[in-house]
Amino acid sequence: MTLPSRRAFVTAAMATLLVGCGGGGGGEAGGSDADRGGSASPSPGSAGEASRPAGKNVRALARSVPVGLRIPAIGVDTPVMRLGLAPDGSVEVPPVEADDRAGWYRHSPTPGQVGPSVILGHVTVGTYGEGVFRDLRRLRRGDRIEARLENGTAAEFTVSGVRTVAQARFPTEDVYGDVGRPELRLITCGGPRSGDGYRDSVIVFAELSSSSPGSS
Amino acid sequence: MRRTVLSALALACTAVLASTVPAFADGTSPTPAPASVKPTAEPTEPTTGTEAPTTEPSVAPGDPTKAPAESEVSVVPSGAPDTGEVTTGSDSGGEGALIGTGAAAAFALGGAAVYVVRRRRATGA
Repeated sequence: MTLPSRRAFVTAAMATLLVGCGGGGGGEAGGSDADRGGSASPSPGSAGEASRPAGKNVRALARSVPVGLRIPAIGVDTPVMRLGLAPDGSVEVPPVEADDRAGWYRHSPTPGQVGPSVILGHVTVGTYGEGVFRDLRRLRRGDRIEARLENGTAAEFTVSGVRTVAQARFPTEDVYGDVGRPELRLITCGGPRSGDGYRDSVIVFAELSSSSPGSS
Repeated sequence: MRRTVLSALALACTAVLASTVPAFADGTSPTPAPASVKPTAEPTEPTTGTEAPTTEPSVAPGDPTKAPAESEVSVVPSGAPDTGEVTTGSDSGGEGALIGTGAAAAFALGGAAVYVVRRRRATGA
C-alpha cells in the first residue's frame, strides 16, 4: 500500500470514528432529556426544575389554620398568628415586639388549600432588632417551607421564585390573584430604607409539594 | 492524480457511513427487509410513547379545581404591607462612628508628620 492511499484510509477511519462518536453522544443526550421529561416526581433532594412538577400533582389539603412555619434554609421556626385588615384597607402586620413571629392573612386560603395562602413577617422590629423574616430574600428556588397546621398535619412547599419589588408598585394581582392550585406567599420588607420604612417588598412564591401527618 | 482519486474515495466512504449511522440509531436494529416491505404504514405508529405526557398534565389537580367560582382570596388588601419597623437613631450612630474614625486618622497622621520633622532636625543639627 502506497503512502497516499494509507493517508486516505487513515483520514477515512478518523472521520468515521468522529461521526460515530458524535452520533452516539447525541443519542445519549436525547435519552437523558427524555428521562428528565418523563420523571414527573424525581427525588426531593434535587432542586429547581426537578421539584416543580411535583407541586402540580399534589392534592389540596382541607382547611386548617396554620400554627407554625419552618424554613430550614434560613433558620426560621416561628409560631404563626392570625392577621386581618387594618382600618385603611391594608393587611395587618404582626405587632412590633421582641418575640417576633409570622402572621397568616385570614382572608386568604389556609396553607395547602387551593389558592395563594399569604403569610407575613417583619424584616426588622425597630429597637428589638431583626425580625423573623430578616433573611427571606436569601431564599432560592427549590428551598423548602413547612407550614404546620392546627389539625396536626404539615403542608410542605417548594420555593418557585423570589421577587423584590417597589412598594409603590406592589403586585397585588400576582400575590392575591387566583392560581387554581395550592400555593404560598411569604411577604416582608426589603431594599434600602427610605424615611421610616423600606422602599421595597420581598415576596416569596412557593408551590405545595407534599403533605405529611406532622412531626409532633 | 492517484492521491486525488483515493482521497475522493475516502470522502465518499465517509459520507456514506455518516448517513448510515443516524439510520441505525433511529430504526429497529437489524432491518431484514429494507427492499421488500419498505413503505409500510407501521413506521409512523411506533411513537406511542409520547402520548402519555401530552394527554392530561394541564388538568392535573383533579379535585381542587372544581370550584373556583369565587375568588380564592375573599378580601384583597390594598397596598404593600408595612413589615419593616426601623429605628431612627441607627443612622446617626453610624455617622458619628465615621466622624470619630476620620478624626482619629487625621490625628495620627499629624503626629507622624511632627515626629518625622523633629527627627530630621535632630539629625541635621
